[in-house]
Amino acid sequence: MYFLTDEERKHLLKGLLPRSRDQGVADELRGWNWSQPPLSPVYDMPLAIYEVAGAYCPTNRDLYLRRVERVRPKPSPAMARGSALHAALVHVLVAAKRLIYAHGVDNYQEIFRSLQELVPLSIEPYTRDLAPTEAESLRQKALIIHDFERARIIARIQEILTKHPYIGEDSLVSLALPVVVEQKLDGSFLGLSANLSTDAFTFCEPMILDLKFGEPRKFHRLQTTGYALVMEAIYEFPVNLGCLVYAEFRGNRLIIKKDLHVIDDELRQWFIEARDEKARMIYEEIDPGVAEECHPACYCYQVCHR
Amino acid sequence: MTLKVGDIKQYLYCPRIIYYTYVAPVDRKVTPKMVYGKEEHIEFERLERRRTLRAYRLAEGERRFRTPLESPRLGLRGVLDMHVVTSLGCLPVEVKYTASRPGLNHKYQLVAYAMLLEDAYGKPVRHGYLYLIPSKNVYVVEITPNARAFVRRMLLQIADLIRRETFPPATRRAGRCVDCEYRRFCGDVV
Ligand code: SF4
Repeated sequence: MYFLTDEERKHLLKGLLPRSRDQGVADELRGWNWSQPPLSPVYDMPLAIYEVAGAYCPTNRDLYLRRVERVRPKPSPAMARGSALHAALVHVLVAAKRLIYAHGVDNYQEIFRSLQELVPLSIEPYTRDLAPTEAESLRQKALIIHDFERARIIARIQEILTKHPYIGEDSLVSLALPVVVEQKLDGSFLGLSANLSTDAFTFCEPMILDLKFGEPRKFHRLQTTGYALVMEAIYEFPVNLGCLVYAEFRGNRLIIKKDLHVIDDELRQWFIEARDEKARMIYEEIDPGVAEECHPACYCYQVCHR
Repeated sequence: MTLKVGDIKQYLYCPRIIYYTYVAPVDRKVTPKMVYGKEEHIEFERLERRRTLRAYRLAEGERRFRTPLESPRLGLRGVLDMHVVTSLGCLPVEVKYTASRPGLNHKYQLVAYAMLLEDAYGKPVRHGYLYLIPSKNVYVVEITPNARAFVRRMLLQIADLIRRETFPPATRRAGRCVDCEYRRFCGDVV
């Protein structure tokens, strides 16, 4: 799901990449300038990236409830679904890498056979709070993802093997599966949590990927922006690109749309503003009040409207 | 209320300048830097009239200087240093006197002018230029949808600050206070 189609690659190479290089980013908004304003944190209040980037609640009361009132509402079905499907995908990607290393290029047929036989991830831990029909539907969806990703990976490995007769395992992994999933990052330079984890990161052209199973929202780009800033702060190289991967199920079919974007000055400023506003809200314990229009699916709905 | 393009620069430098300009007006001294900047702009115009458009990577076009622009829709007005009218559209040029690379305040002023030009000519503006006088360097700035949205949001924030009459916190960059013409009115900065 993280691999780009030919059209997306073209859009990236001919459109976004040159634009991101031409456009440039103000140096003060590069993660490596974390020690100076505006990037230096104002409050000693580490936040997770999803806490800064999330704007499902119009007043951010969900964050206030969790962090100040210490309310721990149950994750919503949508949240459980997202985590389960994401885990199903990671399972295939990591297993494929492991199989390449374990069997080696010369035993490529063994890699394919083992991949075909790969047992899908058990998503039982994610279905505990779901109704039986919901749990079953989630199981089906996880299976669709498993099959889809496995087929794509096999095709990619085959393609690489036909092109490079002398390739070794390590190179095969990096060409066929050029993503690091769940890369752990320390965001403390930027006033963020020390235990962050990106959905995926590609290293050919540094790009942060984030997988979503819900409706596209503008603020989703803050998620990629946050990780880009953290990467820049840690590794001191520019990360200019983000990609939101939207997966949707239509019946038994998986539809994937990607939002490739430049992590520009404006997104960076938006992220920093959100970080400072939310950190202040928690630090000063300011209850932002119940929103005027709450989504009934909000996982805090019961707490706010009791 | 109509804001000035210059307010964007001031707001980004320090929101308190907006407060001192609109909410509790104070006298500010004209500094030598301001006089010098004006002279440099006149000299730029004199030289620019004789130059080709090569620095802007344009083959043709007509330069127009010091154009007053106003958009009731945006609630914004300003005088644009220069713009080039070509058969493919018009392009704003903001002239700055700065030895370092252009800053974000310069960028968003240019974006605001691009938005004003769009209203004046009824055509989209894809990019503009920042001309830095000391180095004669020209920087191309793409006028992206995000940059436009950012300027709009900033105009709302400025208008909000004026309407609420709240005294904003000082800029977090203490170095700016040292050079600021309003420093003597802020009791709480170093
Ligand atoms: S119920 Fe409404 S106010 Fe409470 S967290 Fe959810 S959206 Fe925000």
